Amino acid sequence: MSGPGKPIAAHAGMDRRSLMRWASAVAASLASDGYFGRGQAFAAPVAGAGYGRDPNLVEPKTPWPRTMSASQLGATMLLCDFILPAEGPAPAASALGVHELLDEWVSAPYPSQQEDREQILPGLAWLETEALRQGAKSFATAPAPLRAAILTRLEQMALADADSSPQARFYRRVRRLVIGAYFTTEAGFKDIGYIGNQALAAYPAPSPEVMAVLDRESRKLGLPIEMPPGFGAASTP
Amino acid sequence: MGEPLKSYSDGYDAIIVGSGAGGGMAAYELTRRGMKVLMLEAGRAYDPLTETPMFQLPSDAPLRGDGTPDKPFGFYDATIGGGWDIPGEPYTVAPGSQPFTWWRSRMMGGRTNHWSRVALRFGPYDFKPYSRDGLGMDWPIGYDEVAPWYDKVERLIGVLGGSPQGLENIPDSPAGCLQPPPPPKAYEVLLHRALARMEIPTAPVRAAILTQAMEDRAACIYATQCLRGCQIKANFQSTTVLIPPALATGNLTVRTGAMVYQVDVDRHGKASGVSFVDKQTGEHHSVRGKSVVLSAGACESARILLNSKSQLFPDGIGNAHGKVGRYLMDSVGSGVTGQFPALEGLPPTNDDGISIMHTYVPWWGHGQQAAKKLDFPRGYHVELWGGRVMPTMSIADILDPSDLSRGSALRSALRSKFGSTISFAQRGEMIPNENSYCELDPQVKDRWGIPVLRFHWQWGETETRQVAHATRTFLEIIDRMGGKPLGHVEMDGSKAISKGGEIIHEVGSARMGASEKDSVVNGWGQSWAVKNLFVADGAVMTSSPDKNPTLTILALSWRNSAHLADMAQRGEL
Repeated sequence: MSGPGKPIAAHAGMDRRSLMRWASAVAASLASDGYFGRGQAFAAPVAGAGYGRDPNLVEPKTPWPRTMSASQLGATMLLCDFILPAEGPAPAASALGVHELLDEWVSAPYPSQQEDREQILPGLAWLETEALRQGAKSFATAPAPLRAAILTRLEQMALADADSSPQARFYRRVRRLVIGAYFTTEAGFKDIGYIGNQALAAYPAPSPEVMAVLDRESRKLGLPIEMPPGFGAASTP
Repeated sequence: MGEPLKSYSDGYDAIIVGSGAGGGMAAYELTRRGMKVLMLEAGRAYDPLTETPMFQLPSDAPLRGDGTPDKPFGFYDATIGGGWDIPGEPYTVAPGSQPFTWWRSRMMGGRTNHWSRVALRFGPYDFKPYSRDGLGMDWPIGYDEVAPWYDKVERLIGVLGGSPQGLENIPDSPAGCLQPPPPPKAYEVLLHRALARMEIPTAPVRAAILTQAMEDRAACIYATQCLRGCQIKANFQSTTVLIPPALATGNLTVRTGAMVYQVDVDRHGKASGVSFVDKQTGEHHSVRGKSVVLSAGACESARILLNSKSQLFPDGIGNAHGKVGRYLMDSVGSGVTGQFPALEGLPPTNDDGISIMHTYVPWWGHGQQAAKKLDFPRGYHVELWGGRVMPTMSIADILDPSDLSRGSALRSALRSKFGSTISFAQRGEMIPNENSYCELDPQVKDRWGIPVLRFHWQWGETETRQVAHATRTFLEIIDRMGGKPLGHVEMDGSKAISKGGEIIHEVGSARMGASEKDSVVNGWGQSWAVKNLFVADGAVMTSSPDKNPTLTILALSWRNSAHLADMAQRGEL
């Protein structure tokens, strides 16, 4: 289990400079009162290389190991499904592995992902401490109503104070990543209405149904009903 | 490709440095004319037929394919060994300079693997800008001299485009040059109507993408981005269109991993070959040739000229008047994104198309400039990004920033807003100035000990005013379409303008001119100082019109390579 008092990131293999930075951050956080500040110290940077300048594009592989603990991953999964639960034919975020993508993301040795790591891991630690504070053994195993209350409080903080609190920034950032990760899958394509990535023998002109909407909207906006010039027969629906 | 040289003492008829648009075209022409050619490429061999990720999904890639310092344009981008910085191959920006950034790749075909494929001809005004408004400098050649080469290039590489529209300074191609354009995308119809109301024209884009099969190249299948490269050869890459026929002549030897740093000259001041570093072994080699063609990319070619120091050329080749590296230009860039309720209710459409816009907005302001109604000279065209294209990790950007919905409300917002945004990208002309140039850094060297470039950059007021005009125009278009801009819109042109180099259209660093005093090469791309040395990339451009440079690099390289071959046939090398 991870959480306050226990390092949550793999720090084996960190170089001396990174270890020193990490140790200083731990020391600084222990001197502060905030749970969030304390969690921040545990977002030790990851070591290792990225995929380099010449990865295999046809059979992609992610070379870096995921670093979230089981409890962090569990909390992430609950947070992902809080943002995008299953709905009709659309699966929940966790069913598409969105939480695993977030693990891959915060474990990636690139600057912007490392910045996210410094925001997300403390955020997960905050969820954990909130659960502990309210008598649960961990966030991931807390009763569903308590988890929902904590997540709703997090959402309310984000709604209330925009980007001014670490909790708000954490929630906004995770939400953006969850949306990105969800809708870049085939199930996400279906959900949002992306129907491309199909080989076509010819590219079709806008259909009569599409033109009807365009004409209606054009009239509303007072725009002329005409087609772009220069396309010849190609522009005729 | 990449075969070892039989012997470095052989001597070639021509040595070409670089394998992109300029180098590939030079190899195509010179080998067909029977010349024995050595092509030296700093990067590795690359085969688009086996290495292109055609239908791979974001979810197949690390980080859903999002950009990283290793692959800034995304995991699947057809750039190998490159980026905004290359480990071991640094460049510097002078203190006090505005930012400059330099995109490079290290692969066969260079940046032709990655480019947008927008293939616009320069117009008559673009070759004689000084004569029109007293700014910059005229080219020593005019549109009429280049036009036949544009015709040939369009026919050879396959360029799609519309029927003649007779727009000012936007030359129409003769019949038979262009392939038919695909129909406009749905959002482009609405956009055209708003622009028509504003008396701003639209035109089918011209792009180096096939809509009809050509020899062993298939027509576009309207899926997967050109930026990834193309396994079916439907778009133009030097690696699929120029290098294979050059190799088929039997006259081309390609050496990859060869980083050229110097043109060697003999005691008579003629180029005798080049020196390069084998990037794998670190060993330095010299190879002999009767002529040398530099097409390493505008800045890299300038760097080679500057590093080619000898007793005859103590400041580098062609630099007696300090013109090498000077008058560096890039396209002026800025952008605004709008969201349009009018597009929210469209039935599902597949907007992949040719992976870029089918319609663009050519510059329309010549009349207003003649009437002195604009506060800047020259102009820009507008590129468009819209429609329901494959979602990326940034898909949440289509939502209102204040929207923190989740669950069904979030899904509903995304479904309705997907495809309802249009990004307007300005691509404009920069006028060359004395404060934008590159030179050798006096201290910094690359991993092989070769001096690197130090950049100086300053946008002029003409460019920042142009950006302010574009921003105001974009906001007016968005308003006419009943939309709202997404995110913060910077109205100050000096803040909204792109970084130098960011549009990756850097040109002008060894410009052509009418005399040695004000230029580096003549109208054939031939060095004034070293007669058997040619420059065949964007470095030779005397101006940088709004039109993307690649088609012109191809046309000039073909024209000038033909001149070189003529010289060789006449025994003048």
